[in-house]
Amino acid sequence: MAASANPAPAPSSDEGSETYTRFDLSQRLEHLIMLVSFTILALTGLPQMFATSTIGEWMIRSFGGIEMTRQIHHIAAIVLMLVSVFHIVAVLYRIIVLRSPLTMLPLLEDFKHLLHDLAYYFNLRKRKAYYGRYSYIEKVEYLAVVWGTLVMAITGFMMWNPVATASIFPGQFIPASKAAHGGEAVLAVLSIVIWHFYHVHIKHFNKSMFTGKLTRQEMEHEHPAELNLIESGSAPAIPKPEEIRRRQRIFLPPAVILTISLLFGIYKYVTFEETSITTIPPRETVAVFVPITPTPRPTPIPTPTPIPGEAAVSPNSWEGNYRDLFRNRCGTCHGFTAVGGLSLADYQSALQGGDSGPGIVSGDPEASTVVTVQSAGNHPGQLTLDELEQVIEWIAAGAAEK
Amino acid sequence: MIFHRQSRRYTLLAAGVLFILAFIAVSQVTLAGLSFQTEPAATPTLSPLSIGNETCLECHGQPGLTMPMENGDLLEVYVNPDDYNNSIHGELGYACVQCHRSVGEYPHPAYSASDLRAASLDLYQACRGCHEQQYALAQDSVHSRALAEGKRETAICTDCHTAHAVRPLKDRTTGELLVDAHVWIPQTCAQCHSAIYEKYQESVHGSALIEAGNPDVPTCIDCHGVHNIEDPTVASFRLKSPQICSKCHTDEERMAKYGLSTDVLNTYVADFHGTTVTLFEKITPDAETNKPVCYDCHSIHDIKATDDPERGLQVKENLLIRCQLCHPDATINFPDSWLSHYIPSLEHNPVVYYVNQFYKFFIPGVVGSMVILVALDLNKRARTRYPKIRKMEVTQEQVEPQQAESVGEPASEEDQHGSLS
Repeated sequence: MAASANPAPAPSSDEGSETYTRFDLSQRLEHLIMLVSFTILALTGLPQMFATSTIGEWMIRSFGGIEMTRQIHHIAAIVLMLVSVFHIVAVLYRIIVLRSPLTMLPLLEDFKHLLHDLAYYFNLRKRKAYYGRYSYIEKVEYLAVVWGTLVMAITGFMMWNPVATASIFPGQFIPASKAAHGGEAVLAVLSIVIWHFYHVHIKHFNKSMFTGKLTRQEMEHEHPAELNLIESGSAPAIPKPEEIRRRQRIFLPPAVILTISLLFGIYKYVTFEETSITTIPPRETVAVFVPITPTPRPTPIPTPTPIPGEAAVSPNSWEGNYRDLFRNRCGTCHGFTAVGGLSLADYQSALQGGDSGPGIVSGDPEASTVVTVQSAGNHPGQLTLDELEQVIEWIAAGAAEK
Repeated sequence: MIFHRQSRRYTLLAAGVLFILAFIAVSQVTLAGLSFQTEPAATPTLSPLSIGNETCLECHGQPGLTMPMENGDLLEVYVNPDDYNNSIHGELGYACVQCHRSVGEYPHPAYSASDLRAASLDLYQACRGCHEQQYALAQDSVHSRALAEGKRETAICTDCHTAHAVRPLKDRTTGELLVDAHVWIPQTCAQCHSAIYEKYQESVHGSALIEAGNPDVPTCIDCHGVHNIEDPTVASFRLKSPQICSKCHTDEERMAKYGLSTDVLNTYVADFHGTTVTLFEKITPDAETNKPVCYDCHSIHDIKATDDPERGLQVKENLLIRCQLCHPDATINFPDSWLSHYIPSLEHNPVVYYVNQFYKFFIPGVVGSMVILVALDLNKRARTRYPKIRKMEVTQEQVEPQQAESVGEPASEEDQHGSLS
């Protein structure tokens, strides 16, 4: 979050108000953007890690579902990567153009300070160590952010582009990335809550990251060695403007190339592969409705094949009309079952009749059982009057078969 | 003449009819709780409908008895007496006329249907008389919806259960599915879904059932349900399908028999794919997701054992084919990105195991150090901020020279520190 190097160590104090500029506007903006993107990443990432927990599910639901949660997480990740690119270029600018000392580098002195403070906590020393521009507390946090961002970016890439990753590395790297991404996330959030919140908000609300300034009193307490350096006049001087401009001219071309390369890297990072974005696994591929040919119903009545060349069938004949009429009306009993011995299934059987006599007597309706029984009425499968009249006429006319 | 025979039969069979009805009434008591929701018409009074099965079989027991439909097709109205008597209904003594309520009188009232299927679609309504609950469930099924869309060939009660040769499927005392029924079920569905049956037959489940009669394996109904069979092509079915598989695959007892892991569900849910599907199911159960469910990798009906040499997913090349369905550019390393239902260990997925182990120590190490330093700082600040309390302690104890030293210097650096916060 903080720069690893700063122009001149805390530019000269404003005599009137006795404040010391600690962070310039770009550093404060960097911090703000990072603060927002980190928070969003944590809020959308941890629920994914603990998706089966009630709170995790509730949060994902609040974000509008898992796909939306991932989208938000990805966008916040892109923002964080952009800030990181800006930070890299800005740090290089301070080192190369402004020749700022590398005040964020951990030194042996920092370990001494830690031991000193431990001694102080156990009452072996009267006061805390004299911190310089950045104490070991801040250095640990800065380095944790650098380390964390790097791990998150690399493991994030592997999860974002698993096919490309597996084309080079073992496939196991992808679930391993997921494990590391989650572990690192928990570590980062806990560090922020415990370390950062304590030192910057609880112990003393240090507003310099938003106002950019520290008071003299704050300097005395938190960065006494730096204050001493400034006041003794041995702080590194800001280079002359013409010198800065000369270095800027040298710095600019490689910086532009670096920035473009890094931005292109982010672009590739985000768009490297799309293979799993839109594909939907195939469903059952075979046809669903493929009936087995049903067992034929056991009683298909063979329909007589018309013999070619024979006379056309008259509509007023057994074949032309009455066979179907009897089958429909009488077939249930007087078909193959031949209740009472009478079958009206075919012409010969009809003529032959049953127990009560011949069914049809050609030219003599009165002698035909079909007519006598039907005329009496109330027979099951009763013909209508019209149908009966037709039958009588047909028999009277000779009961033609065809 | 026929009338004469008929009336004589009435008098002769009156006692028989009474006996049958009494038997039915008794059977209802023993049958209570099987699958009846409504008491079948079994009032032991003589009505024109109370006709013994012998009466019906006098005609309908003669093979070849048919009646024509309006389109000329012949409806077989022959009933094989053995089929019926061996059926669950026959065994329990139900009378033909209990289902065929409109044909109790002779002569039968006129009946016509446009074709054979129309007759079936009309006559199967009789099942509702006793099996209303099953009928109602079936109304929610994919079959009923297809019927409503005009697909007349869709399954109705009698297509699966037959009309007259209805087999008992459950043990009458335990309510458990009969062992034989496990085999009948896929065969029944195969009447219309024969291509799927072919696949099922080849599967680890189907082959165990069909070749070895193993009742542990799922049949069609274990995944698709009975009567209210859902449309398996919709998103909601897909999203909940892991729960269907895990009904058996997280059952310790059943899986132990076959040496199968019961971690399959939790390892799936812990993975990217499974987490997504689980959340979709909980939050948007009708939404479509492209993340795979069990059957996208293990196949839908022709599920193979994972050690099957040709298709088993333990063979990396076989799994890769599955990966490539969604990740067409996937290469041979890619399947290892899936942990194969193993919880990471030294033996399986060691890289993941080591990463987990690292953070298991790294996180408490770092966070613990921070907590200790913060606690020490807090402790020190509390002691310097409230010097009066400390003074009291000192006067009480009269020891600890170092503390006394700091008490003696109230304007020291530490106190100024304290005043800042």
